[in-house]
Amino acid sequence: MIAITTIGKYLPENRVSNLRLLEKFETDEAFIRDKIGVVQRAQKAPGQKASDLCLKAFENLLSQKELDTSSVDCCVVVTQNPDLNIPHTSAIVHGALDLPESCACFDISLGCSGYVYGLSVVTAFMQANGFKTGLLFTADPYSDIIDPDDKNTALIFGDGATVTLLEENQPGLVALGYDFGSKGAGYKNLVNEGKLYMNGRAVFNFTAGVVPKSIEKLLQKLNLEKSEIDQWYLHQGSKYIVDTITMRLGLEPEKVVFNMYEYGNTVSSSIPMLLSDDLNKFISGQKIGLSGFGVGLSWASAIFEMK
Amino acid sequence: MSKVTVEQILKTIENANLVKDVNALDHAKPLREQGIDSLDFSGVLFNMEEAFGIEIPDADIDGLQTINDILIYVNSKV
Repeated sequence: MIAITTIGKYLPENRVSNLRLLEKFETDEAFIRDKIGVVQRAQKAPGQKASDLCLKAFENLLSQKELDTSSVDCCVVVTQNPDLNIPHTSAIVHGALDLPESCACFDISLGCSGYVYGLSVVTAFMQANGFKTGLLFTADPYSDIIDPDDKNTALIFGDGATVTLLEENQPGLVALGYDFGSKGAGYKNLVNEGKLYMNGRAVFNFTAGVVPKSIEKLLQKLNLEKSEIDQWYLHQGSKYIVDTITMRLGLEPEKVVFNMYEYGNTVSSSIPMLLSDDLNKFISGQKIGLSGFGVGLSWASAIFEMK
Repeated sequence: MSKVTVEQILKTIENANLVKDVNALDHAKPLREQGIDSLDFSGVLFNMEEAFGIEIPDADIDGLQTINDILIYVNSKV
């Protein structure tokens, strides 16, 4: 049994206020706060790369839990903004952390669905190979690819990174099941061709259409009722999209976590960023739901139980 | 499909949970002047596509300012 036992996180200290851009984008504070849900965005230093953010997240992990790095069996990084095209960013992280030569490294190229996909991939990889300790990093520094004059993207994204420690036979969150999907025909609605382009309406339609169905399907597969899920962690795309999914699924709003006001949408890091704060609060038997969605267009939902 | 009524259009707006009383909306006044912003409007369009089984291209959106505009448009598509 592989469990999530600890999550480290990193947000750059530098913040860029959206409230200073109200006039530029002809918007108002209520829209920024209540619809986008991002008052200020975390922004890395210009030279900082994805691996640098990963290392900071790892420092935070070590501040929470002692870990013998020589025991790490695999190191996986979810990113679409790697340090370099060659090699994989996980190799750079591996070298910087002086992980053992026996440690397997690879990257996963996914955006906002990447954390949930990554949990399934790493857990299965560990189980298939008898691994006991795995690290799953998420780091997608979008500030390098955002057009500051594009209202559709300039107010949303923040930089950050997380690292999830997955361990065998330790108390923690254990997956009960997953649901995955893709609509590759829609990939052009969220694409980086030098700068990020997003067709906001198309991405909204995609999300509002598929995510509630994915979650319903997963609950049915696991024979669970919505009321049996104690907390929901949906990708923090915008406050509006989280509210829309909440409404369409008929979830109790107080069970749906939303908090990116002070740092923005951190792509694949958005779910573990929130989970990191709550992980120690869960008690045995509690269940949580996760759903990531976006670039691809792709989605992944999961239910976990504290064991 | 039979003719879409204004009540059905109002229901799609109500289902987007945007205004307290959809019956208080002025059918001839742009929705954006009645507290429905661009994101809200995306939700309304999505609800209409779903409810009436139609596709609303981005190019048509500028012409959908009021409930009256929407009613005529939807009935031209169903």
